[in-house]
Amino acid sequence: MNGWTGQFLRVNLTEKTFKKESFSEDFARKWIGGRGFAVKILYDELAPGIDPLGPDNKFIVALGPIAGIPAPNTGKAVVAGKSPSTGGYGDGNLGTRVAEQLRKAGYDALIVEGRASGPTMLYIDDDKVEFLPADEVWGKGTYETNDWIYAKYGKSVGVLNIGQAGENMVRYAVVRSLEGRAGGRTGMGAVMGSKLLKAVVVKGTKPIPQADPAGMKKVGYDDLREVNRIDKKTGWSIQSTNGVLAWCNEVAALPVRNFRKTHHPDAWKVDGERLNNARIATYGCPNCTMRCGITIHDDEGRESELDYENVGLLGPNLEIFDLAQLGSLNYLCDDYGIDTMSGGCVLSFYADAIDHGAVTGDYGFNDPEGSKRLLGEIARRDTEIGRVLAEGSMRAARKFGHDSIDYAMQVKGLEVAAYNCKFIPGMALAFGVSPIGAHHKESWVITFELKQSVRESYGPEKAQKVVELQRIRGGLFEYIVACRFPWIENGWSLENYPKYFKLVSGLDWTLDDFWTVSDRVYSMIKLFWLREYPQADRKMDYPPAVWFDPANADTEGPIAGRHLEYDKYDGLLQLYYDIRGYDRRGIPTKATLERLGTAEEGRAAEKFAKLT
Amino acid sequence: MKITVKLIGPFVQLFGFSEKILDVPEGTTADDLIGLVSIDKSRPKIVTRNGRAVVPGEALAEGDRVVISPIYSGG
Repeated sequence: MNGWTGQFLRVNLTEKTFKKESFSEDFARKWIGGRGFAVKILYDELAPGIDPLGPDNKFIVALGPIAGIPAPNTGKAVVAGKSPSTGGYGDGNLGTRVAEQLRKAGYDALIVEGRASGPTMLYIDDDKVEFLPADEVWGKGTYETNDWIYAKYGKSVGVLNIGQAGENMVRYAVVRSLEGRAGGRTGMGAVMGSKLLKAVVVKGTKPIPQADPAGMKKVGYDDLREVNRIDKKTGWSIQSTNGVLAWCNEVAALPVRNFRKTHHPDAWKVDGERLNNARIATYGCPNCTMRCGITIHDDEGRESELDYENVGLLGPNLEIFDLAQLGSLNYLCDDYGIDTMSGGCVLSFYADAIDHGAVTGDYGFNDPEGSKRLLGEIARRDTEIGRVLAEGSMRAARKFGHDSIDYAMQVKGLEVAAYNCKFIPGMALAFGVSPIGAHHKESWVITFELKQSVRESYGPEKAQKVVELQRIRGGLFEYIVACRFPWIENGWSLENYPKYFKLVSGLDWTLDDFWTVSDRVYSMIKLFWLREYPQADRKMDYPPAVWFDPANADTEGPIAGRHLEYDKYDGLLQLYYDIRGYDRRGIPTKATLERLGTAEEGRAAEKFAKLT
Repeated sequence: MKITVKLIGPFVQLFGFSEKILDVPEGTTADDLIGLVSIDKSRPKIVTRNGRAVVPGEALAEGDRVVISPIYSGG
């Protein structure tokens, strides 16, 4: 089967067994890979209501048909499972050599089941699978763990690992790879930790089946050079993702002080210019020629890799405007294996809750040392407040009470990424309807909202744009498994992806064919959530209440006095549902499922909630 | 009239300044300003005036802050 190895590797940690499983070409064409494979497997195999941190959950590493093959930005893998932070479908992607190595070992996905009897490192070497003790690094951070693995196997192997946060099942613990990559902010590191799975190491030597390997090789390398040429011309990677910080500050979209403010006069101190000036090195994922990982020395002289999301949420959001200090917070998150976005939002929520009298504590905004201390307590769960905050802002708010849930910056239990939507309706919708909770990877519409539409609009153009971007970002790039940056930041044509797909699979698809797959995958994710939350309704797709609060409106600047409005947001949400073919609860209708080829899965969901 | 121009992201390095105040004639538009700072007009960009996106031909006023940014699309 060209394009796919046609095999999954299923590993049971309880039994210390493994088996290869074949999948059909029909399955491959229907779900493509990555997120598509992950959600289908999880939907079919997980009983609704299982504990995401129990042995019944599964940890999946899923790849796509171009993953690992030299071509623009294909060195990525999707990690997935039932999310400990949301209780729904959870996933994330990260740059890793696992993409290439697992495919060369002969697998398009790894499915990990059960729970080991002790700390374990799973070692996959082509057809060989070993369950090795990891006691030596249990309790250690991700950097030391990575070094320990490299010392044993060299640096060419694929590695996924977790830090103390994953071991202690912090609900927003991530999976780490290479020296600076992280993914699975929906708690996939905690899922690994719950299984006592400290690391996965992969080595493969087999060829990846391709319809036209010579053609793919030529096109792939040519295009890698071309992406590099374009990036040099546009200059995007000079400041990389953090270039957007100054812009967010100018247009009142920056998270400041737990999103209470949208801009700050000191924001320039941590912007892309300052980051570029402080740069000591640049890192990237495998198969990337527009590397975005800028490292600086933190306040203890350690190398810390920064991008916009972690600068925004560990910096201005905590009212910390010192790059070296926030670099230190970022380093600690990376070493503990804490998601930087949720970590920043949880800390800012705690400071805000203290400010508003919901709880007492020795912590506040602009408190770098307190932030460092708390990150350690969260990762280790060794203090009362550390244990509370390790549960995430939604659960912490339930404990604190006093309406603090209104300013817990999360949707469905996943904290908001670094875009303050106090008055950006379309981006608020994008967070609301993101299928994993409030994440920006699915749809990022702010520029469109300000340039092609108007900020005040709650019109159909914004709902349509959110759907369009979801199909590309949350669909295509998550199941074909490649980084969206060449396209989104440097204008690399989407038409290149059907071209790569044809070279590897022999299938002559159009982008419209891919959009159908995107909608199918989204419908499956919705069905997964429906089984877990059969009583839920459209309110689950609402962003944090504080964005609607007139008392929280800016008092000066571009959006002074403005805030989201409930009735208008609800209207925008309905426009989105109508385009998607969802009912008023936000659930795909039977007709939609029939059209997308997921009617059978829909019938399985009807045991839990009625479809319309 | 005096207008503050702020460049974002790689425009800072590509066009040689981060922020400066320009003295321009009355009636200058945002489009005119882009020409004044030598930014390729064909380059995709978003221009805001006092935090709001400008419309073509929009005239500037004394004390305005104009921000010229490449099209970012999220990290």
